[in-house]
Amino acid sequence: MSLRISEAVIWQETGEGVSLYNTETGDFHSLNDTGSRIWRLVASDGEREPVMFKLSREFAGSNSAMSRRIVADVEEFLGAMIEQGLIEEIPAEEPAVKEESLS
Amino acid sequence: MSRAVVLGGGLAGVLAAAVLAGHADEVVLVEGDRYPSGPRPRRGLPQSHHSHVLVAGGARALDALLPGTVDALLANGAHLRGLPGDALIYSADGWFHRLHTDAHLISCTRGLLDQVVRRRALGGGDVEVWEDTRALGLTGDEARITGVSVSRQGAPPETVRADLVVDATGRRSQSPRWLAQIGAGEVEEVSVATGLAYATRLYQAPGDLAAAIPAIMLHPGTAKGQPARGATLFPVEDRRWIVTLTGTRGGEPPTDEQGFTAFARSLRHPIVADLMAEATPLGVVRPYRDTVNRRRFFERARLPAGFAVVGDAAVAVNPVHSHGMSVAALGALRLREELARHGLGPSLFAGLQAALAAEAERSWRMAIEQDGERVTERAGERVTERAGERVTERAGLDGAPRREPNAFELEIRTRLAQAKLSSPRLAADFFGVQTLISGDTATDRSEIARVLTGRPEPLLTGEEAIGQYPVLAAWRRSRFAAATS
Repeated sequence: MSLRISEAVIWQETGEGVSLYNTETGDFHSLNDTGSRIWRLVASDGEREPVMFKLSREFAGSNSAMSRRIVADVEEFLGAMIEQGLIEEIPAEEPAVKEESLS
Repeated sequence: MSRAVVLGGGLAGVLAAAVLAGHADEVVLVEGDRYPSGPRPRRGLPQSHHSHVLVAGGARALDALLPGTVDALLANGAHLRGLPGDALIYSADGWFHRLHTDAHLISCTRGLLDQVVRRRALGGGDVEVWEDTRALGLTGDEARITGVSVSRQGAPPETVRADLVVDATGRRSQSPRWLAQIGAGEVEEVSVATGLAYATRLYQAPGDLAAAIPAIMLHPGTAKGQPARGATLFPVEDRRWIVTLTGTRGGEPPTDEQGFTAFARSLRHPIVADLMAEATPLGVVRPYRDTVNRRRFFERARLPAGFAVVGDAAVAVNPVHSHGMSVAALGALRLREELARHGLGPSLFAGLQAALAAEAERSWRMAIEQDGERVTERAGERVTERAGERVTERAGLDGAPRREPNAFELEIRTRLAQAKLSSPRLAADFFGVQTLISGDTATDRSEIARVLTGRPEPLLTGEEAIGQYPVLAAWRRSRFAAATS
């Protein structure tokens, strides 16, 4: 399964990180540094594995315990985003990335 | 023989009595005042000199209760104005385009509306009306109301037995006290102050414009730290206009001739002041300050059987929202549905008050969102509720919720607010909610996504907005030409 940002989400990079507006619910969300980093990786890579690989390499290096913790954190974040309809899981053959931003 | 007694002969009481006439053998309507013989203000109704409009949801409910009432109002000179298709509206976000939706309002004086409704509701003789009669209290106990104590035309108190007593006595309802006197539970009460005052004056309108004019609404701007001041002008029967000026604390509209005129002239646009100058004042400027939103949660109390509360006695919102009469009609319609389902018997009472309260819920929510951040609980506990638009802020992995909206959120809100000025679908959503014909705001999510990702529509200038109404634009041109010739 690939990941893509929901078409219902308008998002923007701000000085504080990534800010989201869910047009389905009218809710605003603001991601902290870590959440923003994951979000950007989902937007650019559209797959779980590259997201986890890049974050592990960036923050854990060769520390396997830290790497496992990062994987768990990313899974938790993605689960929450998917549950709230902000990120969608789609079959791998469909286009994986959809960006909507303010024009 | 079953008997229902309705306390209060205003709109909510009259409609409740008409509904009950189909289910009780006898219905008595108790009114402390005397009804005027014509479509005139009533002494016991302090609001009756001020602007009253029936919004679309209320008009539909009224017609469902008393078929043909809206047509009768229009035949007697009331005006129907589409929103925003027949209304010149300068909101805080800009001028509305002339967009046609299902939302509308009916504008006439309160005196005319009451008279037309009373004739149709009470004219059949199914309701016995006791004018000049004061309600003094309830009889019964915490489990069951058995009647009401009244004084007719100053006579000694008498007890009237009833299977159902309905309190429709409005903002000044004594029901919480009366219930306490017979041992029933306390009624929780919440007040949301608005700081708003308004002043109203009637005008004889000039011939060409009198009936052709759109409804006009000048809302306060967004300047912070200054009183919010605005105005409305609605056409009413007999070629008259009713002008209402509003202002929050420190910016209350004056009630003297010069001050009233100067206040209108100082608003964000001179259109209302210009029209006032063209018209002939009728009578004095009348102030009104009791604009607090007040809700008594009878549905949460352990109410005795045989008792219900309708209209402003339960939920009274700031009159500036124009929902009072409409919520009264919607409540009466709900009463009719509950009576049809349960009849006038024990099974009616378990859920009746909750059903009636549900009809006022939308209006209450809208009013407190728009009017203020602070909800003051009478019991002494203060609860802060967030005002403004529905905004849920959530954090990321380890962040805490933020309190202030960031630039992104402000931009989204501004874009959405301005988009509804020109998007037919968003305007229909917005006015559908405002006029109580739809249940939730901004349901058209695909349109929201479209307006946020597309190029924003340019805002109308004042002249462009007025230009959408040829009669008004022609009058402005002729007035300008006369002033410069």
